[in-house]
Amino acid sequence: MTPERFRTIVDAYGADPRRWPEKERVAAEDWADLHRIEADAVLAESASLDAWLTSHTIAPPERSFVDRIVATAPVRHRPKPRTRLWWQGAAFAGIGLAGGLAGAFAVSFFVLTGTPPQVHEASSYLTSSFGGSSADWSGE
Amino acid sequence: MSERDPDAELVARVGEQDPAAVRTLVSRKLPRLLALATRMLGDRMEAEDVAQEAFVRIWKQAPHWKEGEARFDTWIHRVALNLCYDRLRGRREDPVAELPEEAADPQGSPDMQLEARVRDERVRTALAALPVRQREALVLNYYQELSNIEAAALMGITVDALESLLARARRSLRAQLAGSGFSKDMP
Repeated sequence: MTPERFRTIVDAYGADPRRWPEKERVAAEDWADLHRIEADAVLAESASLDAWLTSHTIAPPERSFVDRIVATAPVRHRPKPRTRLWWQGAAFAGIGLAGGLAGAFAVSFFVLTGTPPQVHEASSYLTSSFGGSSADWSGE
Repeated sequence: MSERDPDAELVARVGEQDPAAVRTLVSRKLPRLLALATRMLGDRMEAEDVAQEAFVRIWKQAPHWKEGEARFDTWIHRVALNLCYDRLRGRREDPVAELPEEAADPQGSPDMQLEARVRDERVRTALAALPVRQREALVLNYYQELSNIEAAALMGITVDALESLLARARRSLRAQLAGSGFSKDMP
């Protein structure tokens, strides 16, 4: 490390050694330790500009802007939520339960009354348009 | 490149359209891109447009991203810088005309906040007055904290040329701030 190179580094990167080129950092710090007065003069001049630069801050993005950016990203479709399947299962269970209750009701009715539920013996479905007609077609 | 790209895994998940990865990437990179563009353009609204456009390109590139060619962070800086240059070329006005939004200091007295605001404006004005290549070098190296090698590669120049730009930028800033209370003890 030479005095000229030390000055070049500080002039370009500032007074904070963390900003100095990685490969030269140790050598530059060693040089500064050995030439404290000369180094401090160079560093002080740069440190005040560093402080000014550091004081310039940029506001972070607002939440709404972040959300807007996120909304522009293509997003993979998620599988359908399981709650829907749960409702379908519940519907099946409900129908089965209703059928069971109806059957139980019919059986208990038969047991209590001793008569099966009545059905119309001569239901209309047992007759047809071909039975019981008295029309005489002989004239034709 | 010997080190692993710290963003590679996240970018791969973004490429698979993982919603959680998308949100993480935005929180990680948006403040950086916004700061870069705001300092380059001196205009918050334009900087937000640049950041949004940069993310559109990120979404397109993420499924094809291959680790090892370049660091993802370096690549997005390149994208954002190109977008900034497109806008700077199209400008006829002084970029200082509009004030960018500043970070409010939540603590401190009103006097301290006012002083911080004044200081911030002085630096912002001085930065905006720099030649664009000097500003780019300073923003990349000082504010974005890219290494000298990364910043030089991004700008397509040698490290020596970068150091020259940085030194000239700092000299100009010192001269400009000298007229606004710059001293060895300030700020």
